[in-house]
Amino acid sequence: MNIEAYISSGILEAYASGLLTAAEREEVERMLILYPVLQEELTKIEETQIWFLQQAAIKPDEAVKNKILEQTKRSIQAKSNSKSFQPYFWAVAASVSIALVTSLLSVYFYFKWQGSEKSLANLLAQNQQLAQDYTIVNQKIDQLENDLSVLYNPGIERIILNGTPNAPDAQAFVFWNKEKEEIYLQLQNLQALAHDQHYQLWAIIDGQPVDAGVFDFSKDALLKMKCLPGNISTFAITIEPRGGKSSPTLETMQAAGNTAKS
Amino acid sequence: MFLTSIKNTVIISEPTLIIRLQSGEQQALAYLYDNYSAALFGVIFRIVNEKNAAQEVLQDVFLKIWTRIASYDSQKGKLFTWMLNIARNAAIDKVRSAEFSKQKKTKDISDFVPTVESNEVISQSNDGIGLQNVLQQLPPEQQIIIEYLYFKGYTQSELADEKNIPLGTVKTRLRMAMQTLQSIAHKI
Repeated sequence: MNIEAYISSGILEAYASGLLTAAEREEVERMLILYPVLQEELTKIEETQIWFLQQAAIKPDEAVKNKILEQTKRSIQAKSNSKSFQPYFWAVAASVSIALVTSLLSVYFYFKWQGSEKSLANLLAQNQQLAQDYTIVNQKIDQLENDLSVLYNPGIERIILNGTPNAPDAQAFVFWNKEKEEIYLQLQNLQALAHDQHYQLWAIIDGQPVDAGVFDFSKDALLKMKCLPGNISTFAITIEPRGGKSSPTLETMQAAGNTAKS
Repeated sequence: MFLTSIKNTVIISEPTLIIRLQSGEQQALAYLYDNYSAALFGVIFRIVNEKNAAQEVLQDVFLKIWTRIASYDSQKGKLFTWMLNIARNAAIDKVRSAEFSKQKKTKDISDFVPTVESNEVISQSNDGIGLQNVLQQLPPEQQIIIEYLYFKGYTQSELADEKNIPLGTVKTRLRMAMQTLQSIAHKI
């Protein structure tokens, strides 16, 4: 709520001079309770209004005052005549009933409130769970979109790495973008390794094996390996001590595949 | 500043006055009348435009104040603001009543006050410096707003339609007019 804008709209002036509809007036009355600044502003306007209307004052005939006092005197007398025991009796009866009804209502609303507290806590917990699930799903989608954008690139070549006699069931795919020198690895099936071991990918360039990075077995996502320039003829995967080696241990070769250029 | 015209009267603070009115003290009503009746009548007379009818309205207004004083809530504004609201509504109701428009047709034309600038109204202004003297110090576009909204019983949207001014402009001009009036009040 921008109080400055509310004041400068002129609504308090309209309120003071009685120009608002009942609904608009109630709205201003609520605002007056919420914002003491509005009370101050209204008082200023009211003081100006009283001063100004005193300048515009016109004195009515003296008879009007007498008539008013006459009529109000009558209403006072009428009131005091009927003031016997009855009003007090009814007043006491009314207060007792109101007290009873309000106590019952407060018990009722207390239990209602307790119930609502519980269901609110449940809903909040559910909401939190949903938010977490949503984040996880979102991350997965991001990952998949990323992978797809790599795979659908027209410059990409897919190389199938099939199992060697060491591991006939092993299989993996390499996605190679020669122009950008990017290498991605997607694993299909590899055996589990001991904790002190790593898989290592090799690229054979001009007859020499070059390290393309180490990895653990995971089927989830596309692995981005090292960027390597040059004419790669073959990709191969070996098992090496954790952290990898500078030259491959050929005896542990798991899978290998040739590029189209070879 | 509005108490300048009262002679031989004790000044009663507004909270005290309200308590005394709410407890049904007739002297408090007389005090209220002495202090505010002329200011309210200035509005009622100009809206109704006929003296006897306007005095009937004033009388009704004070009876309403007397019977409804319990519902007055000082959080919602000053007592005078509350009374002005009652007076304004009563005056507009009177003008719109069928009985009144019939009466008006059969009366002599000289009984009526054609505009706020009428000599009859001005001659009866007993307090302060007079409406015209104040209004003349306002820019013309603010004068129109005050005349129509306070003394002709127009609502803001009725005035917007009549004068072809956007409603928002009417609202902000009323605020500007009140600010001009405030600065005039401080100068005096």
